[in-house]
Amino acid sequence: MALFTAENIRKRFGARVVLENVSFSVEQGAVHGIMGPNGAGKTTCFNVLTGHYAPDGGRISFDGRDITGMAPHRLARLGVSRSFQIMNLFDDTVVIENVILALPEFRHRALNPVREVFHDMALIERAMGVLEQVGLTARAWERTASLPYGERRALEIAVALAPGPRIVFLDEPTSGLGIDATRALAELISKIRQRYTVVLIEHDMSFLFDLADRISVIHWGQVIAEDTPEALRSDKWVARSALGEVA
Amino acid sequence: MISLSDIPARGGSPFTPSMGVFVALVLTAPLWLEPVGLYQYLGIEVAIWFIFALGFNLLFGYAGLHSFGHGAYLGVGAYAFGLYEQNVAVDLWGGLAVAVLAAGLAGALVGALISHRRGIYFALLSIACGQVFWFCAIKLHSITGGEDGLLGIPRPDLVIGPVRIELAGNAALYWFVAVILVVVIVVLWRVVNAPFGRVLQAIRQNEMRARFVGYDVWKIKWLAFTLSAAFAGLAGGLFAMAQESAYPDVMSINQSGLIVMMVLVGGGLVSFWGPVLGVLVYFLARDILGGLTETWLLWFGLMFVIVVMARPEGLAGLVDMLRTRIGLVPAKHAPVGAKTGGA
Amino acid sequence: MAALLPHMVNGLALGLLFALIALGFMLIVGVMEVINLAHGSLFALGAYFALSAIDGHWLASSDLTQWWLSIPLTARYVVALVVGPLLAAAAGMILELCLRPTYGKAPLYGLLLTFGAALVIEELIRVVWGTSGQNLPVPDAVNGAFLMGGVIFSKYRFFAAVFAAAAVGAVWLFLEKTPYGAIIKAGTHDSEMVRALGYDLTRLRLLVFGFGAALAGLAGIIMVPIWGLRPHVGIDVVIPAFLIIVLGGIGSFWGAVAASLLVGLAIGITGAYAPAWSLMSMYLLLIAVVGVRARGLLGRKSVLEN
Repeated sequence: MALFTAENIRKRFGARVVLENVSFSVEQGAVHGIMGPNGAGKTTCFNVLTGHYAPDGGRISFDGRDITGMAPHRLARLGVSRSFQIMNLFDDTVVIENVILALPEFRHRALNPVREVFHDMALIERAMGVLEQVGLTARAWERTASLPYGERRALEIAVALAPGPRIVFLDEPTSGLGIDATRALAELISKIRQRYTVVLIEHDMSFLFDLADRISVIHWGQVIAEDTPEALRSDKWVARSALGEVA
Repeated sequence: MISLSDIPARGGSPFTPSMGVFVALVLTAPLWLEPVGLYQYLGIEVAIWFIFALGFNLLFGYAGLHSFGHGAYLGVGAYAFGLYEQNVAVDLWGGLAVAVLAAGLAGALVGALISHRRGIYFALLSIACGQVFWFCAIKLHSITGGEDGLLGIPRPDLVIGPVRIELAGNAALYWFVAVILVVVIVVLWRVVNAPFGRVLQAIRQNEMRARFVGYDVWKIKWLAFTLSAAFAGLAGGLFAMAQESAYPDVMSINQSGLIVMMVLVGGGLVSFWGPVLGVLVYFLARDILGGLTETWLLWFGLMFVIVVMARPEGLAGLVDMLRTRIGLVPAKHAPVGAKTGGA
Repeated sequence: MAALLPHMVNGLALGLLFALIALGFMLIVGVMEVINLAHGSLFALGAYFALSAIDGHWLASSDLTQWWLSIPLTARYVVALVVGPLLAAAAGMILELCLRPTYGKAPLYGLLLTFGAALVIEELIRVVWGTSGQNLPVPDAVNGAFLMGGVIFSKYRFFAAVFAAAAVGAVWLFLEKTPYGAIIKAGTHDSEMVRALGYDLTRLRLLVFGFGAALAGLAGIIMVPIWGLRPHVGIDVVIPAFLIIVLGGIGSFWGAVAASLLVGLAIGITGAYAPAWSLMSMYLLLIAVVGVRARGLLGRKSVLEN
């Protein structure tokens, strides 16, 4: 049984239908890609799948459970996590707190008005463990705002991993990254896929094709193809739409 | 530059040197107020406003929810205290409890209406809700005394076990308020350094991300609002006791705006102590500047506008900047004893 | 039902005056993305400037004042209708200058600044014109009451309604038919684009703030004979203005007008049944509306959404 499935998702904004009949399923442990030209609806699709919007039609299930229209914070607690293309970090504080805030152990004490936070060594160890996955342990106590772009991207992903999800949705994680950082990111994703199921939106085709097991291609608000990278390479519609030749 | 998100060196321990100095000043005030040329009642007023401002900053500074109508909850507390003392029993703890509960309830109701918002919508809704309370206070003449206010509220005695202390004199009342103030400070300092305080700040910094990592943001905002209203209610009850009356004007938008101005000018956006500094500045303006000119509020308002334009970190931010320039304060990083990462 | 008619006229007059206020408020929000909490103070300033224009107490010598007062009230009133909004516009432009350090920062700072400015302006009014309530004289032609169909109507309310309607029409003409209006409209939709097209955004902001302030000031002059002239008369202005742009949507002229009429009528009709509570109705309306809907009836997603 697939870990995560979307069936016949439909989404309108006012009179405009942005997504129509979007379906796909993701197996546990897989890396699933979503690609398509700008404005095709892939971001909206992502937002629907991760609970930011409720779909107007269709069904989403996770681990056999219907999660259609569930609020993001409940999805996060169930094990569905996401990162953002336009980074959403806690900029006023230090790097490690970004991760601590996302740890379930911490979240369970959210309403606690008494306990210590930064002297809780167990919590800090856990947070360091997450930072280690993205290679940011050296920066743990620096101000988030002072981090260079590439490291903010890494932190962005770390915050998505900290809740210990079963499936992680990454929204264009290579945005704005140079070649070296992109390569590092590819290595990171290859590493984390051993623990998490990954769904990935990307523009960078070679990045996506190297990492993904299956890719859904979205265009005009619909899934026009879904297949393995090899199969898609030779699909002419995909090639043309991805290269932006088809309007 | 300091920030509310700074990690305190000694965790949530309230016993820092500056805290000690402050508490000493607070607890000895009746001894030095008059020699300095001030008066006892001022100490009571200032202490009550400290309580109001610190509780308010939990919402304004820490949670980043800008309520411009918070005077309403001070007013609810004041009226609740007065009505209890006049109609139920002349009882100190009962009256204060009722003040806190009533204001907390009012805050819970309003919070339920507005907690799904933030920013400008939140601010304007808070104004509208505050105005509704103010209208009710003015129009419900039979309950609140209307524009004339609720008069003749007694000051109940403080009864602890077999000991009965009269609070009719200002010095005695001051000591009672001062002890409550110290308790409030300790409690609030604990809260802002505990997980709840950090989560409030997370919601201020990035509400969306907080939601996506699993926090029920609405509920937490609602809690923050209700709590800050409860503190306002406590201050209101004490205020009614001090004034021996309750008036609708504390609920007006002007008064609600004053607490915002105090908190900002003092540096509530960057420091736990900001609200305290801001209250002091306001009362200095009112009593000392006010002794020189009738237009003191104009000057206070102008100062506020200039602070917003030039230095929104307020007085606390200014003090911190000066201390760093002189080299008194090292840059802040890991708390004492925490392991730093690295190889 | 006929007894409701005067209240409906009141509501209509109020609604049209609110439209003037709301339009100015909306333009400022659109171009500057600032919620001007001092809009009510600019409203009050317009009225107070008009008062001074009419009673001439600012004139240097008492001889000049006597001469001024000998001019017929109607003429002085017309002068006030011009001078008041102009001076309010000047105040608005000063406010815009003060707002500049807050552009680009979080919306909180603009909000705080206009809030502080509202207090400062109110205190200035107290200092210059005194704290007690005053009376803005209106020409006899529009004063008093008249009988129609067995119901007594206030002449002034009719005048207010007609004048406000004309003013709203003039604003529409300005926005739709003049090149400046076109630039302002473009600015409310996309200020970045306007700058990219080569227009001086700084000047545009200054002028729009002045224009919005002038509209508020004009509304103030017309409104205070109904609401009374006191330093804090502007307090109840910002909330309805905000409610109107939420209902009507930012960027929609007719949405703002329609919403203004709605709010005005709501207040007017509440005034028929529970006059003491009529103003509170608009606060309740705001809470009900913003607590539920956000995008307005005719507008698009706006800067207000956080």
